[in-house]
Amino acid sequence: MKRFLSLLLGVVIITIQMIGFSGCDNETQPEKFKAYYFDYFDTATTIIGYAESKEEFDKICEDIKTQLNKYHRLFTIYNRYEGLNNLVTINDVDDGKHNVVTVDKEIIDMLTFAKEMYHKTNGTVNVAMGSVLKIWHVYRNAGLDDPFNAELPPMDKLKDASKHTNINDLIIDAENNTVFLADPEMSLDVGAIAKGYAVEKVADYLESKGITNFLLNVGGNVRTIGMADTEKWKVGIENPDTNNEEQPYIEYLKVAGESVVTSGSYQRFYVVNGENYHHIIDPETLMPGTKYRSVSVLTDDSGIGDAMSTALFLMDYEDGKQLVESTDNVEAMWVLPDGKQQYSSGFEAYTFEYVQK
Amino acid sequence: MKNNNSQKNQKLRNDIILAVVIVFIAAAGLLLFVLTKQEGSTVAVKIDGVVTDTYPLSENREVSIKTGENDENINILTIKDGKASISEADCPDKICVETRAVSFVGETIVCLPHKIVIEITNEKTDDQIDVAV
Ligand SMILES: [Zn+2]
Repeated sequence: MKRFLSLLLGVVIITIQMIGFSGCDNETQPEKFKAYYFDYFDTATTIIGYAESKEEFDKICEDIKTQLNKYHRLFTIYNRYEGLNNLVTINDVDDGKHNVVTVDKEIIDMLTFAKEMYHKTNGTVNVAMGSVLKIWHVYRNAGLDDPFNAELPPMDKLKDASKHTNINDLIIDAENNTVFLADPEMSLDVGAIAKGYAVEKVADYLESKGITNFLLNVGGNVRTIGMADTEKWKVGIENPDTNNEEQPYIEYLKVAGESVVTSGSYQRFYVVNGENYHHIIDPETLMPGTKYRSVSVLTDDSGIGDAMSTALFLMDYEDGKQLVESTDNVEAMWVLPDGKQQYSSGFEAYTFEYVQK
Repeated sequence: MKNNNSQKNQKLRNDIILAVVIVFIAAAGLLLFVLTKQEGSTVAVKIDGVVTDTYPLSENREVSIKTGENDENINILTIKDGKASISEADCPDKICVETRAVSFVGETIVCLPHKIVIEITNEKTDDQIDVAV
């Protein structure tokens, strides 16, 4: 009986220890925190980070908010801020022409990057398309407000507007920090670039301060900073077929330091006569791109990721694939209209098999 | 002496059987503990970043989430068959309604105009995914 008791005691102690080790958190281990913001780039921002305490996490979040707010105010094409020259100021027309506007160096850098991306993508990503995108914006919002009377923008209106989209009329004077739009009827729309560019800048800033184990997600522009604690971050690539309940994600990626961005026809659209019309407008057809359901881009730079996902979404597969393969640190996955997936040569190195629990 | 030996052997055998049984029960208990640990995911409702309500993912229900100064904004949260979705909303963009139902730990649904985040959480397990794009 004595032997039985000691045996029982032994087993009980071992069991308690096993449960104890699997269940309790170790005090020195950093904890995972999340925060959500709604004030930047007209989209939702999620910050996930590992920190020793909630206070430490909140402090870093305040820093991130200050940065995001700075870029939001500079790069917005919708809001004016007193005493600040931003893209709205550049787009302003006085007496039938634009002004030469003195701007923050950050705007000069972003627009210079935008011009680089224009050339890199053969004009597919064009921030000088404001006149065309503005029309789509108005019709889309009207259609969302009043779905029964939703309409497509008239093609002649779009074609007229497209005459004022020459990137060379965007004149950047980096020495004097001025920007001037030479065509009075042109305007800038940095929707395909500024968000990703800003996220990259904020990530660079965090890295320079030695912060790691953070993830920024500004409206689908995801940039990871280091690992998720001791593991990599798990990113689900959404199934563009949003009605498929069995398979919410078509691919799972593990990343540590990279950025992932998806452009998809399922993302922001309005319905006209039963057809979906999304927001990624092809500069050639002036209509939403129809070549893919979605394109996901994995890069080390969220600004490039943002621009490339838009560009690849609108480019022919062969051209797009060539662009990806000839660019360092860029991988992509295309989902064709029939649901078939194509990958760049290095993409699958990041995927992992998801095991249902 | 011989008798004593076999008695000892008998005792030893009983002890071994007992030990095996106890270890088995303990292992079964631990397994049950680990399994139940995986379950019990929660649907957390966050308004402007603050958790206002939590509901078990395993119980079907419909909740009306009211936001705005005079509770004028409405999102209907539907929890059904282990999945959570926004079935109706009066927000202008309706992106939350179009977002698919969520069930994985770490998944979210966002209503930007109403500053609402619906998040699947589980204190006992790691997030199944960190982010969806
Ligand atoms: Zn909504």
